[in-house]
Amino acid sequence: MRPILSRTAAAVAAAARPASARLPLTTTAAAAASCRYLSSLSVPAPAAAPRRPQQQQLLLLLLQQQLRRPGTTTSRRTYHSTDHPPPPGPFSETEAAILAAAYKQVPQHGFSADSLAIGARESGYLDISANLLPEGAFSLIRWHLVQQREALAGRKAALLQQQQQQQQQQQQTNQTTSTSVSAMVEALTWERLLGNAQVISRWQEALAIMAQPTYVPASVEELAKLADEIWFLAGDVAVDPSWYTKRASLSATYVAAELFMTNDHSSGFRDTREFLRRRLGEASEVGNVTQSIREWVGFTASAGLNVLRSKGVRI
Amino acid sequence: MSAAIARPALLRRALPALRNSNNSLLPVLPSRSFSSTLLRTSPPNTSSPTPDYATPDPSRPTHFGFETVTEAEKRERVAGVFTSVAESYDRMNDLMSFGWHRIWKDHFVSSLNPGFFPLTSSPDPRTAPQHILDIAGGTGDIAFRMLHTAHVINQNPNVSVTISDINPAMLSVGKQRAQSQLPASQQAVLNFVEANAENLTSTKPLGASPDAPTQKIPDESVDLYTVAFGIRNFSNIPAALREAHRVLKPGGIFACLEFSKADKYPLFNEIYKRWSFGAIPLIGQLVAGDRDSYQYLVESIERFPSQEEFRDMIVDAGFVVGGKGYEDLTGGVAAIHKGMKPRRV
Ligand SMILES: C[S@@+](CC[C@H](N)C(=O)[O-])C[C@H]1O[C@@H](n2cnc3c(N)ncnc32)[C@H](O)[C@@H]1O
Repeated sequence: MRPILSRTAAAVAAAARPASARLPLTTTAAAAASCRYLSSLSVPAPAAAPRRPQQQQLLLLLLQQQLRRPGTTTSRRTYHSTDHPPPPGPFSETEAAILAAAYKQVPQHGFSADSLAIGARESGYLDISANLLPEGAFSLIRWHLVQQREALAGRKAALLQQQQQQQQQQQQTNQTTSTSVSAMVEALTWERLLGNAQVISRWQEALAIMAQPTYVPASVEELAKLADEIWFLAGDVAVDPSWYTKRASLSATYVAAELFMTNDHSSGFRDTREFLRRRLGEASEVGNVTQSIREWVGFTASAGLNVLRSKGVRI
Repeated sequence: MSAAIARPALLRRALPALRNSNNSLLPVLPSRSFSSTLLRTSPPNTSSPTPDYATPDPSRPTHFGFETVTEAEKRERVAGVFTSVAESYDRMNDLMSFGWHRIWKDHFVSSLNPGFFPLTSSPDPRTAPQHILDIAGGTGDIAFRMLHTAHVINQNPNVSVTISDINPAMLSVGKQRAQSQLPASQQAVLNFVEANAENLTSTKPLGASPDAPTQKIPDESVDLYTVAFGIRNFSNIPAALREAHRVLKPGGIFACLEFSKADKYPLFNEIYKRWSFGAIPLIGQLVAGDRDSYQYLVESIERFPSQEEFRDMIVDAGFVVGGKGYEDLTGGVAAIHKGMKPRRV
């Protein structure tokens, strides 16, 4: 069997592979953690949160730094306007070719070195060529995050239309309607969550990799960009003190819903949809934001630990 | 010695002033400095004819530590250094790096993950042999680890390694170590070859008679090209990179572990630099009775281009790099650079 490699992502990915029998262990551990997490959601008082001090503080700080950039919203317009955007985000053409092929393997082989090696082969390279990707399995996760985020812009028009139809119907039946911006935020967030559906069985593994210290900053940065993108597409142009709160609270709601979804077996993820609606209603309070992010960090950290432990690392 | 050299690297970046003063002590021809000017102006590609600077020229000036010498002279003097430290090489390494070089080497090899193949796929990847060429392989530290990772950890016996070095004395020490440390199955796929990294068209198996015909390492025959703590000793680095590009298969990986610049931490850098320039040659004197050779090692690290400059040289030679193209180890005391040879279009 392959022992643990020193490079962390490779370690998780490579170690996870030999006996797929070992995966359930991981998943169970992660699932247990997430149950704990979910039950804590129903406890109203934030005081019930477990105290996991410094690391979480640090993460909150990171998220704040990522988010506190109102100025960037306008400059971002440039990439919305191009018809044929370059390969997404931080990837060169060659990297993109390998990653796109590797991504197709994720449902079967996970966010792993196996997927990367198969992807390299299928794009005409060698097994060793996966070395081009400096972050191993995390590169594949980043690929997913960037692609899904960038796909949202293309869905905007369709969602907007749906939205307007619904509003007309509701007006006929005399229901009060939510403002169009917040309805769009909900629709876009739901759309993004559906982007995880294909890889949902692998998503807890992905969260565990994202929680490794090396990758936390990049993961948080992606989360911040997602929240920013959603508000931007929803048509929120206000640059005022609520700018930060809105993005932070959306990030928090999103991660909570994302976690919920990994355990959701209802058809069409109906329960997640419901969860999202409820949480978006509550999430505007700052207390909830901090609380949710703390829970998310707590979850990902413990999921990460559990994965490593299940691979025999003594922590 | 590798470790020895590690330290000086730190100091260097932080101190532009100090650096400049070093430079001013030594007559350095601007045209041979690896600083950005030369590289930036060079044509950024591969299919273009080999630029002048990448063609070995024995009479062209280059650095030997802080001295300026011709390429041919450097080759001889480097050979001298390694012949004189070959025996004590491993002991010095440990002594001076406090074992760091081992950790870096472990990380280098495990991150490359040689011999790895996806479990479920056809055709059975074990049928496609992987060939690793360890350049400036010296006494075999990298090659032995490669074999272990491929054969034992990844359970892929279909991986062979060629250790090559310009210096038969280093290779002989490596061969003895292989015989005493490696299982027969690994020795069977290990070759020792005398070669100058700048010209892999004329190589000789270790121990071949002087008038035996030379052999060419064929184009596109190598999956993974590694060079650890070797490249800063080359007289002509662009020429070596072009040879690497030639022998690699499309999709093949160039990987380099080398002392680098820790300028991101100025204070650490300065302390380290003082220590290395002061102490390493002295230790060399005491342990190996050879102060000058170790002095050279320290200076050669100081001379080596920064992470970004070296990354640009790799790209100039026709490789593609991922992300920023390198990974710092221990704050930049050492760095790993990787590049992939793209497919022909
Ligand atoms: C510091 S040792 C590194 C040995 C080994 N790779 C390790 O990491 O322990 C540097 C080696 O580079 C070799 N070398 C120097 N110039 C060379 C050249 N032009 N071509 C091939 N090898 C060269 C030296 O002979 C020496 O063995």
